[in-house]
Amino acid sequence: MWLAFWLIIPTLVAIGITAFYPLGQTIYDSFFKWSLRPGFQREFVGLQNYINLFQDPRFLQALWNTIYFTFFSVLIEFLLGLATALVLNADFKLRGLVRAAVLIPWAIPTAVSSQMWKWMYNDQYGVISLMLYNLGILSEGTPILGTPGIAMSAIIAVDVWKTTPFVALLLLAGLQIIPNELYEAARIDGASMWKQFTSITLPVLRPTIGVTLIFRTLDALRVFDVVYIMTQGAVGTETLAVYNRSLLMDNIFSPRGLFGYGSALSVVIFLIIGVFTVIYMRSLNIKLD
Amino acid sequence: MKKILAVVVLLTIVLSVFSITITMTAGAVGTELETLLKQVDMFMEENPDIRVQVLPMPNSSTDRHDLYVTYLASGTPDPDVLMLDVIWPAEFAPFLVDLTDDYDYFELDKFFPGTVASNTVEGRLVAVPWFTDAGILYYRSDLLEKYGYDVPETWDELYTAAKDISSKEGINGFVWQGARYEGLTCNVMEFVHSFGGEIMKDGKVVVDDPQYYNKNVAAITFMDKLIEDRVTPRGVTTYMEEEARRIFQNGEAVFMRNWPYAWALVNSPTSPVAGKVGITVLPKGPGPDGRNSATLGGWNLGINANSSAAEVEAAKKLIKFLTSHEQQVYKAVNAGQTPTRIEAYNDPRTIEANPFYVDIFDVFMSAEPRPISPIYNEISYEIQVAVHSVLTQQTQPENAVKSLAQNLRKLVY
Repeated sequence: MWLAFWLIIPTLVAIGITAFYPLGQTIYDSFFKWSLRPGFQREFVGLQNYINLFQDPRFLQALWNTIYFTFFSVLIEFLLGLATALVLNADFKLRGLVRAAVLIPWAIPTAVSSQMWKWMYNDQYGVISLMLYNLGILSEGTPILGTPGIAMSAIIAVDVWKTTPFVALLLLAGLQIIPNELYEAARIDGASMWKQFTSITLPVLRPTIGVTLIFRTLDALRVFDVVYIMTQGAVGTETLAVYNRSLLMDNIFSPRGLFGYGSALSVVIFLIIGVFTVIYMRSLNIKLD
Repeated sequence: MKKILAVVVLLTIVLSVFSITITMTAGAVGTELETLLKQVDMFMEENPDIRVQVLPMPNSSTDRHDLYVTYLASGTPDPDVLMLDVIWPAEFAPFLVDLTDDYDYFELDKFFPGTVASNTVEGRLVAVPWFTDAGILYYRSDLLEKYGYDVPETWDELYTAAKDISSKEGINGFVWQGARYEGLTCNVMEFVHSFGGEIMKDGKVVVDDPQYYNKNVAAITFMDKLIEDRVTPRGVTTYMEEEARRIFQNGEAVFMRNWPYAWALVNSPTSPVAGKVGITVLPKGPGPDGRNSATLGGWNLGINANSSAAEVEAAKKLIKFLTSHEQQVYKAVNAGQTPTRIEAYNDPRTIEANPFYVDIFDVFMSAEPRPISPIYNEISYEIQVAVHSVLTQQTQPENAVKSLAQNLRKLVY
């Protein structure tokens, strides 16, 4: 008993230093008007930073953009990922090779793939732009990443391209544990393919789906790199994390004391992610122990 | 033998007791770092008691800013010598050593006045100009000649020539930097100033003052008109320096606004437009208040206020060395970086390596700084948002100027 306690101590200390201390410090800082500029008088403002935040049009826009991005990217990734997983679960030649190939987008660092897609979206040389112009979907010369509305869809497309393989992989792992006998029995009873899918595959897959959605939603809610590299948050694509970087890095020494304000934004992002996690875990009956 | 060894050991000990190590941050664009390392070697040969460590930084100015924020906020005494973008001194001033009393030591009266002014915060000199930058106009001399146009002196002349030549050649007319980032602010300042407008003056918001309002609106309207009339491709709202340069260098634009760095690249042996390019000042706006304007860019050297007194002394020596006439010429010849000392432009070695310096000397001489303010980032952000919303067809220029005025007043009371 005591041995176990002593063995776990170093881990607890490490987590305390790296996770809980910064979190506590951030929450504490969020109650102050404060800047890291030398000589700046730290001033306690209570919940004022939070009140200001919800009256800040830039924050509300970023909040909406983040939710929009999360909803559509996770939805599309899930549907495509599920379809991919079902295909990869079937028996066919070279299955191993296809499975490995599908994973390539996931293996490329986001910073690299974002830059790659940025070039493909270029209005003059970009292959995607050229295709869309030729198909008449976009009028000639429309900058994909410089047009409100279109830019966000383009960013979602990059995220879908990158993350669908990951979703497929998770779901594939879930599919593989379903014993074949279940399907055989269903076929003998005369169940259609659709009936087999809704009555066997989906219920058994439910915990896996839950984990997948949690992973993806939490990732999407703090999306930063794709957006920052492709548009830096211009034309209505700024997400909460991009706005937070701007507050905490660009304006950290501002005499207007924005450090506490940025901390408040960090706490709000943390809370939003926490709320989503609880909702998912409740609705999918996932237990932690 | 033993004696020699003993002497060497003794010397090493003595030297290491009296020698001091300082670190400096550096860029690594093109041959910049290579050149600097050679300069640092020369310096250490002249000053055997000082060791200099060079710390390369990321290329993007924004990433460098993030890096400095972490250094300075943590209060670390390293790096001692900081390479600073012209827009940073006001923000970082509390973290930098006051160099006001060293004005003569660095011979700052021999530098471009604008570069020294941009390093002066509330009367305190906080950094020494190292190399400078200014917006310039690149043009296709072969195409202008082919269609009988002179080098444009006003924006209207540029518009006419660009529209005509681009439609006949089936290429773009005029490319510049219109993405929503710091480069857009530089471009906006040039358009606004050349039309006789102003955004901030002496720390006050003047963007909607009666004497400037119409000119500011006219300048932004002109930028928008370039895009609407397809003289500038619509994609300019996503272009930074390199996007514009690639188009121009591939022979797909008649005019380009860019920094001097592009000169060497568009004239490199592999460039399709090598030898067909000229450079000049950016055009004047219309009316009696129209003038040529170029935004001041460039990098400066400041000293970390957390460094020890001895390190500060060594850092001053290094900065004096690097910004001396000899070394600025060396840098101009080897790295193509534009000197901040006026006399360096008369040096035959500079002229031989960069003949175009002579043509645009006046541009560097009169380059205009962006607003000097500790909240420069916030001011620049508001300018970017206001103008970008016009360029992406979301707002009318009049409304953009009005909302810019409102938002700036919230920042600068």
